[in-house]
Amino acid sequence: MQSLHIAWNDVKIRIADRSALIMLLLLPLVLTAILGTALKPIMSNEDSFADTTIGLYTADSDSLARIFEEDVLRKLDFIKIESTNKEENLGKMLKEGKIDVGLSIPTVWSENVKEGKLKEVRLFSNSDKELKAAVIESILTSFVSRVQSVSHTTNVVMADLSTSQAVAAGPGEVTELASTITVELTNQGNEVTPITDRTIGKETVSSMQYYAAAMAAMFLLYNITTGAKSFIKERDLETLARLKISPTSDWSIILGKFLGTLGFACIQFLIFIMGTSLFCKVHWGDNVGQLLAMGGAYAVAVSGLSMLLAGLIKEMRTADLISGIGIQILAFAGGSMLPLSQFPDFLKRLSDVVPNKWALTGFLEIMAGVNWGEILPAIIGLFLVGIAAMLIGTLRLRTR
Amino acid sequence: MLKVENIKKSFDQKEVVKNVSFSVDKGEAFGLLGPNGAGKSTLISMICGLVKYDQGDIWIDGLSVKKRPLEIKKKIGIVPQEIALYPTISARENLLFWGKMYGLTRAETKRKAEEVLSFVGLSERAKDKIETFSGGMKRRINIGAALMHEPELLIMDEPTVGIDPQSRNHILETVKDLNKSGVTIIYTSHYMAEVEYLCDRIGIIDQGEVMALGTQRDLCNRLANGTVIEMKLTNLNEEFLQYIKQIHGVERVMIKPDTHAIDICINETENPLPEIITLAVNANIQIETMERKEPNLESLFLQLTGRSLRD
Ligand SMILES: Nc1ncnc2c1ncn2[C@@H]1O[C@H](COP(=O)(O)OP(=O)(O)OP(=O)(O)O)[C@@H](O)[C@H]1O
Ligand SMILES: [Mg+2]
Repeated sequence: MQSLHIAWNDVKIRIADRSALIMLLLLPLVLTAILGTALKPIMSNEDSFADTTIGLYTADSDSLARIFEEDVLRKLDFIKIESTNKEENLGKMLKEGKIDVGLSIPTVWSENVKEGKLKEVRLFSNSDKELKAAVIESILTSFVSRVQSVSHTTNVVMADLSTSQAVAAGPGEVTELASTITVELTNQGNEVTPITDRTIGKETVSSMQYYAAAMAAMFLLYNITTGAKSFIKERDLETLARLKISPTSDWSIILGKFLGTLGFACIQFLIFIMGTSLFCKVHWGDNVGQLLAMGGAYAVAVSGLSMLLAGLIKEMRTADLISGIGIQILAFAGGSMLPLSQFPDFLKRLSDVVPNKWALTGFLEIMAGVNWGEILPAIIGLFLVGIAAMLIGTLRLRTR
Repeated sequence: MLKVENIKKSFDQKEVVKNVSFSVDKGEAFGLLGPNGAGKSTLISMICGLVKYDQGDIWIDGLSVKKRPLEIKKKIGIVPQEIALYPTISARENLLFWGKMYGLTRAETKRKAEEVLSFVGLSERAKDKIETFSGGMKRRINIGAALMHEPELLIMDEPTVGIDPQSRNHILETVKDLNKSGVTIIYTSHYMAEVEYLCDRIGIIDQGEVMALGTQRDLCNRLANGTVIEMKLTNLNEEFLQYIKQIHGVERVMIKPDTHAIDICINETENPLPEIITLAVNANIQIETMERKEPNLESLFLQLTGRSLRD
């Protein structure tokens, strides 16, 4: 009971500290938005944050062009299409800022598709819209390469069919069969699969999602130092001595401080999830239960580590130093700054020991949609790290 | 109520409290008077269980501090020497928190917080953060926090350090009222006047030792044949002081810093005064004034230790 009062008091004091509050609640949201957008080229991914308006000129009613427009571009909800009937207009619209990127699709685009070739599509862009142009270009190339690979397969299949089944069926039927196959296969090609660095679970994870998870993993880390600082502060303010002379056991005091940090970390996590879902349209996966379990276990881990740190250091300045450098190193090692996929192998192995990496990969897996079995080890691991760290910290604090 | 028996405490082989014994009765106001570093705070920390003692034992209401710490903690209220409050939350929130730490119910805590706020005269500032308070106001809330659970024994460690005379008087009145309402008080200070005003019985402590113990009257009676004479001189030299110290009946000599005044403890039955005066005349030192001091704790302290209470 006493522990809960101490915890609540702890949370209240942190909320009363406006500058720390901004640092811990608002900054992560802002950073997510910035990093998710700015680092998109590295991730080369689709991005729900950016609205892109495409000026589209199609020279004729080529079927491939229509498929690209109807089934690819119009299906992406961050893309708006302004059609025009003259190629020259694209440049003008671009200058006037009506569109972000211009696309000009040539006549009979699909003409050479059977040879695995396509006529060149022209892409117009401004230097200040490079990011958006890069996105459109990657969608285009992905589409084209799919079409090419499909058409190549079609050719092989058709060649096969015409030789083996020529006797059984008339030549007309072969053509018919071939055309259904082509349609089926091209339809498959139309399903936009953006180029991603990693594909896990059922769905792919966008750069915004990656950075949202990365920022959640990183900013919760700060609870290690803020929690330890809150303990050191109690000592400096002599309120710790006062707590000790009240009829409250040492265990309750330390548990209370642990729960305070845990409470704040949970609040921080929830606000971050809600904020990023709302303002950055980050999709945190379909399983809220998994997300809360992972976030909760991670909060336990950082709160436990904060008690361990409180047991190890005495000075406020040491805590500040650790929060300035140590947390950044942990965050980097855990993939919160550069995507884990970009790490060289030895760093990848090194990063396996930092708990924030477990949390980050856990979040990513949940976003991609996995079953409980795959994330349970991380959840249990984080939880155990937290409890063990807290116990060691408690022993150290009690003998002080 | 409280019994301290043969308590010893060392920090890093330095003995800070040396074999201290005393007791305080229920309803009493007991003063612990001693200069900086005398060991007052250490003694209090041991009474409230914050610091473990090396030897001896302390009982409160017959319960040993060593063996029954939790029960004892509920009975006593401590006003620490330093302000031990959360600066960034309001006075009321601080009081509510400390109330809850003593296991008070919600309703009790609320009622008691308002009562304490008005008792220390800060009801109007209840909503303000502690960090916006003056030193004196902080001290008053610091005391208030110790009163939330209505302790039977209130231990105050220099509660008036560094505050203006007005706040100090307010605090002294408050303590006097508490004592009248039946709360046992232990009050430490190095201000003799405070202890004289508040306390029935007094212990004088220096360098970890209790030098004298008793009621004010007892202590002053000890001065009956020991008198303090204050002399203001035109000039002063070490040789002269050495001579005076050798006179029969002179117990201690103390120079007041930055003046040409000295306090001399004498034993009046030996009547050393004429000899002192002769010595001064021979040494060509003129006596500007010479005054017999009323026996008080300060002069007793001087007599006991040869030092002044305040540096
Ligand atoms: N934790 C500690 N470690 C080492 N020495 C200590 C510790 N606490 C107190 N001391 C020493 O014990 C002696 C007595 O200190 P204490 O604080 O009890 O004095 P005090 O009578 O309360 O003085 P003041 O009037 O200045 O408050 C001092 O010499 C102090 O340096
Ligand atoms: Mg002290």
